[in-house]
Amino acid sequence: MSDLLRDRAMKKEKKIGKAPSDSGYKPKDGRPKDSISTVSNVEDPLHHDDNTRLPTENTYQLGPYKRHSVPVITEILKDVLTCYLQHDTYEAEWSRQMTKTLCEVIRARVKEQMIPRYKIVVIVNIGQLGGQGMQISSRCLWDATNDTFATYSFKNSSLFGLAIVYVVYVE
Amino acid sequence: MDDFQAEEEQTTFVVEEVSKIVKESVEATIGGNTYQHNRVNQWTTSVVEQCLSQLSKLGKSFKYIVTCVIMQKNGAGLQTANACFWDNTTDGSCAVRWENKSMYCIVTVFGLAI
Repeated sequence: MSDLLRDRAMKKEKKIGKAPSDSGYKPKDGRPKDSISTVSNVEDPLHHDDNTRLPTENTYQLGPYKRHSVPVITEILKDVLTCYLQHDTYEAEWSRQMTKTLCEVIRARVKEQMIPRYKIVVIVNIGQLGGQGMQISSRCLWDATNDTFATYSFKNSSLFGLAIVYVVYVE
Repeated sequence: MDDFQAEEEQTTFVVEEVSKIVKESVEATIGGNTYQHNRVNQWTTSVVEQCLSQLSKLGKSFKYIVTCVIMQKNGAGLQTANACFWDNTTDGSCAVRWENKSMYCIVTVFGLAI
């Protein structure tokens, strides 16, 4: 079973990219719209061609044999963020590239842990320090015994960087 | 053929219905409000929890991760990116960006098949 999984799309990695977005949301009661919203999602060209999910055999494995260690992942995030962002100032184009780079670096480092049957989601936010107020929160619907997350935030005089990694077990 | 399509609906991430759920949650929680520092914590929690409860009502065999960022409009810049290691055929994500005159709200939903 694990061979089948390895051969198929499990190994495929993709990055978020710009995609066609939806039109603004229209409130039902007809009052003038003072807010707009856009939707974007990843459009992977192979996503639709290969739509059949391969039937997999039972492994009779009830849980992961090896779990991710949160302190280890936090250490990875701290290391990557400090190393890449320490001496930099916020610029729009540079930080756009840097967030994508950081995502890929962190994903590669977490994959190096070689813990099987785990999916990884990495989110990186880089923002300018402008005295604005901001709140970031997240909630997950998952199996708390097997799945976990790690975060690290970094700040220097002109920018802040936040990295979040979620690791999710595949049954 | 119908059975196959119905089964496929059960195990793929459908962006349209997820984005509809997200937009409704955001609009219901902060639509028409201005940024208030002492309420923003409650707003983000409420948006995320509403999204999650609507998503679980879809009844699909998915694990969900919902992230919400609410930022005051100040001229400051924010970049956000994500990278995922998952199964392309079944998993997906959807980002909804909402704004009004005083704040931005970005909600990202990741759906991972079990």
